[in-house]
Amino acid sequence: MTAPHHAPMALLEVRDLGKRFDAAGGGDAPWVIRGMGFAVADGEFLTVVGPSGSGKTTLLNMIAQTDHPTEGEVFLRGERILHAGAPRLNPGWNRQIGYVTQEDNLLPWRSALDNVLYALRLVGADDAAGRERARDLMAAVGLAGFEDYYPHQLSGGMRKRASLARTLVYDPPVILMDEPFGALDAETKAILQHDLMTVWASKRKTIVFVTHDITEAIALGDRTLVVSRAPARVTLDQANDLPRPRRAEDVIVHPAFPPLYERVRAAIR
Amino acid sequence: MTGPAGRAFDRLLVAALLLAGWQGASAAWGEYWASGPLPAAAAFWRLVASGSLPTNALYTLEATAWGFAIGLPPGILLPFLLRRHPRIRAVLDPFMVAAYGVPKLALAPLFIVWFGIGIGSKVALVASVTFFIVYFNAMAGVAAVDRRLIATVRVMGAGEWRVLTDVVWPASVPFVFAGIRTATPYAVGGTVVTELISSNRGLGHLIQLSANRFQTNEVFAALFGVLILVIGCNLAVQAVERRLLRWRPPVFAASGAAG
Repeated sequence: MTAPHHAPMALLEVRDLGKRFDAAGGGDAPWVIRGMGFAVADGEFLTVVGPSGSGKTTLLNMIAQTDHPTEGEVFLRGERILHAGAPRLNPGWNRQIGYVTQEDNLLPWRSALDNVLYALRLVGADDAAGRERARDLMAAVGLAGFEDYYPHQLSGGMRKRASLARTLVYDPPVILMDEPFGALDAETKAILQHDLMTVWASKRKTIVFVTHDITEAIALGDRTLVVSRAPARVTLDQANDLPRPRRAEDVIVHPAFPPLYERVRAAIR
Repeated sequence: MTGPAGRAFDRLLVAALLLAGWQGASAAWGEYWASGPLPAAAAFWRLVASGSLPTNALYTLEATAWGFAIGLPPGILLPFLLRRHPRIRAVLDPFMVAAYGVPKLALAPLFIVWFGIGIGSKVALVASVTFFIVYFNAMAGVAAVDRRLIATVRVMGAGEWRVLTDVVWPASVPFVFAGIRTATPYAVGGTVVTELISSNRGLGHLIQLSANRFQTNEVFAALFGVLILVIGCNLAVQAVERRLLRWRPPVFAASGAAG
């Protein structure tokens, strides 16, 4: 691995991460991820693309500490926050790592507003200021007027917006996103990508965004990693300096886009 | 016919047919053996007016309520306590299943020996009936909690207690209520049967007393009392359930009410 963990700019670093699930009949299970390593700078928007079944969700689960790594380490600001064989996990590492999962995972018995407020309530910060913050964020992702609806009363796109807002509300410095717009129609997806870009531009979060959509990966990211099929590891680390602020529909007609797209596509095998 | 109005009509039709059948039986075998809708209704009003039916119903209700109050809390809480202790749960499981399998009504004579012919034996029987039914339902609920929801709140910093109160409990409430709904008629039934065997009060006692005197009309009147008690308990449970489960999509709520 090239980037040492004390490199000044790396906020998050993954080193030699490996994972294999126990085989049902014992014996040696195949590696899902092996020798995975990369660093993310403070405020960087990193996108990760790879074929489906390449362990991208497993990678995020390990960084979020909802799953144990079999090998390797994870560092945050130079501090080792996870290593293989750690006796217990600390999901979200003291609210430093937010995680927008593939499914919205809203609590069905709480209203949209109460879901967004939940992380604040956990630390007693759901006071007047907290509520106002939650309402502002809901408005920013287009949920104004839907505060009192239960999740089952919202559309898939709205639930996605709510799940985005409830992670943004407590301001974790690192946010992991697992194909958050994967199940949405093209129109909703474009609007949500745009909203995410706007929020990110104003807050400068460090984001690790997993997708299987190459266009989305290039349009959103400062840098795109391509991971291989299992055992997954990084096969391409492609920076891109397309001008910001970006809109997906402008990005695809930019002259620098086609060669970037081609390079990423060629690396996905 | 369709819709709620049509359904109400169909139900009235079925009720009318049942009453007609009863009337027919009364005519065929004689009112002395089979009673009949009209004499039974007359006996019902007589027992209500004399205060005998309300007093005995209240006693049965009281015994049932105490049984619930004692059997319910451990039935609900134990699965939550055992959630993080799969080993203890695995050790206890065969014993629980065996105890659940014993027909509780067969325990009634034993409870009467232990707790006397007063309210104690009824309470003990109802408690043992509700405990096991609710325990197994709550256990199923705790096991069915969506692990992704737990992982999500943990990432946001929720500790074990918050996971329990904010995810596992609300996710299990529908299962707990399914258990309570199943247990309610068994609980009332348990009280009545224990009263039948030995008691000097309660609807079961009234049934037994009337049957011993060959007062068939009064037997049916007391049975109506039991019916009303069960329906009342069910309505109360449903009202609480509806309040607690407002968050559920209507399709679940509908199937829940029907189940």
